[in-house]
Amino acid sequence: MAPRLTSSARQLVGAALLGVTVVLGLLSFAGAAEAATVKGSPPKVEQQVIPRPTPYYDQFNSGMASSSIRVFGTNGQLLMYGNRDVKYYLPQMLVSGKTPAALWALGYQLFEQNCSACHGVEADGVPPANTPSPGNVPYPNLTGLGPATYDFWIESGRMPAASTPQTQPMRRPARLNELQALAISDFLNTKSPQCPLCYAASPFVPNVLDLATANLSDGAALFALNCAACHTITGDGDALANSTFAPSLRDVPARQVAEALRTGPGNMPVFSGNLTDAQLRDVVAYVTEKIQHPQNPGGLGLGGIGPVAEGFIGLALGVGLLALVGFWIGDRS
Amino acid sequence: MSDHHDEPESTGDEPSRTPVQMPTSASWSDPHLQPAARHPQFVERLIGFTFIVGLLSFCAFGAAYWQNWAPWALGLTLGAGMLFVGTGITAWGKYLMPRGPFVEERHVLQSSKQDVESFTNALVERGATPVKRRKVLGGMLGAGMGVFGIVAMFPLLRSLGPLPKNTLATTDWKAGSYLVDQLGNRISQYSLAVGSFATVFPEGWEDQDRGQAVDQTFLVHLEAEGPIAGMPAGRSTWTPAGYVAYSKLCTHAGCPVGLFERELGLLICPCHQSMFKLAEGAIPIFGPAPRPLPQLPLAIDADGYLYASAGYNQPVGPGYWERP
Amino acid sequence: MTARLGMRLPGRSKKEREPLGPYGRVGKAVEELDERLGIAKGGKTFLDKIFPDHWSFMLGEIALYTFVILLVTGVFLTLYYVPSSALTIYHGPYKPLDGQLVSQAFSSTMDLSFTVRAGLLMRQMHHWACDIFVGAIVLHMARVFFTGAFRKPRELNWTIGLTMLILAILNGFIGYSLPDDLISGTGIRIAYSILLSIPVVGSYLAFFLFGGNFPGTSIIPRFYVLHVLIIPAVLVGLLGAHLFLLVRQKHTQFPGPGKTERNVVGSPMYPVFMAKTTGFLFMISGVVALLGTFFQVNPIWQFGQYKASNISYAVQPDWYMGWLDGALRVMPAWEFVGWGHTIPFNVFVPAIIFPGIIFNICYAWPAIERRYTKDNLLHNLLDRPRDRPKRTAAGAAMLGLLSTLFVASATDVLANFFKISLNTVLVSMRVLTVIVPVIAYFLTYRICKELQAVPGAGKRKVVNVVAMTEGGEYTATPVAPPPELVDHELDAEPVPGLIGEDAPADAVAAAAAVGGRPGNVGTSSVRTVPR
Repeated sequence: MAPRLTSSARQLVGAALLGVTVVLGLLSFAGAAEAATVKGSPPKVEQQVIPRPTPYYDQFNSGMASSSIRVFGTNGQLLMYGNRDVKYYLPQMLVSGKTPAALWALGYQLFEQNCSACHGVEADGVPPANTPSPGNVPYPNLTGLGPATYDFWIESGRMPAASTPQTQPMRRPARLNELQALAISDFLNTKSPQCPLCYAASPFVPNVLDLATANLSDGAALFALNCAACHTITGDGDALANSTFAPSLRDVPARQVAEALRTGPGNMPVFSGNLTDAQLRDVVAYVTEKIQHPQNPGGLGLGGIGPVAEGFIGLALGVGLLALVGFWIGDRS
Repeated sequence: MSDHHDEPESTGDEPSRTPVQMPTSASWSDPHLQPAARHPQFVERLIGFTFIVGLLSFCAFGAAYWQNWAPWALGLTLGAGMLFVGTGITAWGKYLMPRGPFVEERHVLQSSKQDVESFTNALVERGATPVKRRKVLGGMLGAGMGVFGIVAMFPLLRSLGPLPKNTLATTDWKAGSYLVDQLGNRISQYSLAVGSFATVFPEGWEDQDRGQAVDQTFLVHLEAEGPIAGMPAGRSTWTPAGYVAYSKLCTHAGCPVGLFERELGLLICPCHQSMFKLAEGAIPIFGPAPRPLPQLPLAIDADGYLYASAGYNQPVGPGYWERP
Repeated sequence: MTARLGMRLPGRSKKEREPLGPYGRVGKAVEELDERLGIAKGGKTFLDKIFPDHWSFMLGEIALYTFVILLVTGVFLTLYYVPSSALTIYHGPYKPLDGQLVSQAFSSTMDLSFTVRAGLLMRQMHHWACDIFVGAIVLHMARVFFTGAFRKPRELNWTIGLTMLILAILNGFIGYSLPDDLISGTGIRIAYSILLSIPVVGSYLAFFLFGGNFPGTSIIPRFYVLHVLIIPAVLVGLLGAHLFLLVRQKHTQFPGPGKTERNVVGSPMYPVFMAKTTGFLFMISGVVALLGTFFQVNPIWQFGQYKASNISYAVQPDWYMGWLDGALRVMPAWEFVGWGHTIPFNVFVPAIIFPGIIFNICYAWPAIERRYTKDNLLHNLLDRPRDRPKRTAAGAAMLGLLSTLFVASATDVLANFFKISLNTVLVSMRVLTVIVPVIAYFLTYRICKELQAVPGAGKRKVVNVVAMTEGGEYTATPVAPPPELVDHELDAEPVPGLIGEDAPADAVAAAAAVGGRPGNVGTSSVRTVPR
């Protein structure tokens, strides 16, 4: 009797297992059916939420919106520091014949300390006689370049230059703070040729306040057309001719991206006339959101340098690991 | 199985590593057939553990797929399941199965002299006997098959694509083509700042299916005033208002030459790093490109819009046999 | 047992239930099958087939099983991929491409990556499996080359394997091109230029393959047919032939205790090897799945749709195409122009002639070596690389050349990484391409000779028993190794005029001392090696 009981118990368990399997299978089939419907309305696909980690422009340009930073000239005039559009006050002041003494004086002092050794006291690129120029490359004339240029070079830490001579200055922590940069900018503007047209022609600090409304898709397309040829499609930058290089875009604040586009620092082309203000915003938004925070749903991004890194991983980790496994499975003698 | 327990071949403490023939049913107690593991029970438990973990992982994979979890959850469960089950099976084979080694004789692949002889004989003589004039017949058959092959091949090949004709040598640029950007907007001489560039096409290029590929042209506002000094002879009027335009197709392997170094005045191919000097007719100064980029002669109309005063005077892109 | 069976299956009549014999239902099934197919004899031989245990014989299995993974994941991908250049507007979860005009090939690959369940995992597994597949083939081939496993009678299998490597590289490139993204599109553009560079017929070949001018709309569907049907079918066929020859000719093996030219030592197919290899299949699948999970490969959403006027810097092909890209980079800008024709040597030589030479050398190597050594014997025991210094050096030179070119395909990345001039890197690469193979040859040759000169290098060390005497003194007494270890296993096998070298004298002496090689007996197929 006992074996009989056992066998029927076995049958019971078997039937139960079979039932559970069938139910599970049916359920998973029902679940899988949803997966099969790719087109149409994918029901379970979550809406992609574009991550918006505190963009740089919020940190830097909030002064404009919240009026946290304002600089007044001696005549009580608002110098509009927030958006850094120092251009607006300059012609006016030239007309009035007054200078905002405090800011200008600060700029003069900073320029003397940090810049004049190379660029000359008149900022015309003629240094004091005893200063040698490395590699016979003349120092740049700084007059008439416009606030965006000054701001970009100082804010990106490239100026004042590092003590070791470089073919191309590299991004580093800024040596001067924003107010100091503005002051130098202010000083240099008064050194610039004093004609209204010159000011109008020099690049001003672009307005990158409303990146939230930018079109990322257009930005991606413009990036692929205009920027990827040097900075690579993933924005990592790479070596160019004669020891120059396209720097990585991974840690460039939005305003500096915009300034670089408009002013063309170093070997970079100028993007003026071929990008509208809206398109500029699109590109800046794409760089600060997708280049700097790429979506890597497939795992580690491998530095974005593509097949080289992938090949290395494939050979070292893939083949190497499997050869080790084979080493375990097989004999060593 | 108990009836196979005879002739124990144990030769001492250490089992011999000398290979033996795969035992027949008579010698199942051969030490070569014992598991390789020193503690089979322990290994068995370990393997059981890997199988259970593998099973759970596969269950988790099913759940992950069903619930459409993130890709990493799918991959982790699938990969872990495979890895654990695989480790278990391998360990089973390595530690719990007959330790061996076993030996197998190689059989001689070569046939006997007679077999070779009769095979060759059949090949040579049997075919010869029935047909005396087999050379003529064979030739005719061969010719027929050959002609069929060629005839069958040609329509097939021919219908794969059009003949190149002169299309590799031509672009859609012609005298009077206005330069437009990707959106079709004409380019004014006042629009680009000095140091700016644009990828331009001939107006109406959207209607050409290959327009994007062969018509693409690199326009750069190189200097504030034109014409640019230093251009090759005969091109003095090609660079009005400091604008200059070259084909964007590299003369090496046809990549778009989109890398512009402003201060160096170089155009670089991002694929293989050929470098072209912009202000001197895009002559190659470095890299594998053999020829300068073809230059598009520019002109400016009364409203300041740029147009091509002629098409390209040579084929654009990489070299090919028919290229003069 | 029969009683319980009868209880479960009451419908069956008693007459049909014959006694099952000592082997139960398995025995019955074998009997039934054998009556119809005669499987028992061959089946027993198959179950008894011996596989060598040495780990280096596992490399081919990695290739085999990644190929299986490629087939399985590939079938999954074909269910969703649309091989069409027709334009469509992408609407999907990846916002930066939303609204862009893309090809259906790109759009469907985007859906595979973001929408299809497990699609991204399958895509990445497919790509990683491919990278490993080609890598394992190359390693496997290197093992076969350096140990002389390609020698008679296995030249045909060497040829088949090499053909499979070429097809694998080709199919890898084609598959890489199918998503129609910016980087792979640039690769297709270069492939078009390479076809154009062939004298006389180049432009016709390019037009027939692409259906006209670049880019056209035909290349994606045509590549698709090649990638999923034609090349895999040929690969499967060749794989079958490769394995059939392997079974027919049996494995090679390293010299060792009891291992001769006339036997194979190892584990039997059933059950040991079957368990190990099945386990390996699972483990390979696991590793590929984990790679596909944690390492992102070919993120086409970051690249965007290919447009003929868009370009990214630092584009490289997958690693197995890298040496060709490197050859394109280091080649000087030579072009012949005359008599109304152009021959772009700067493309034709590195992209057509050079790989042609490389692969033809590989194809011809068994014949070259046979001719050079006048060695027409059958070989089943493997060489140690050091004992064939010229072959080993030649292989090292080839690997050195290809590796240098592979590095040269990343000149820009190197220049950026080491902060040196791109121009300097390229010029150095041109120099290195010439001198690295030469250095590799002579260095390897020297190392081989030095290793030969050290008696007993690589052999098992003599065991010493260290004992402390009562006075605290240590004594070391050499212990004789077990008799089966005292063998000629690491001695070179003397071959007449072996590739430019006489066998080391001590090896010949050792072989003579142990009374000759068991394998070198005179039969019609395995003849005595004269020494």
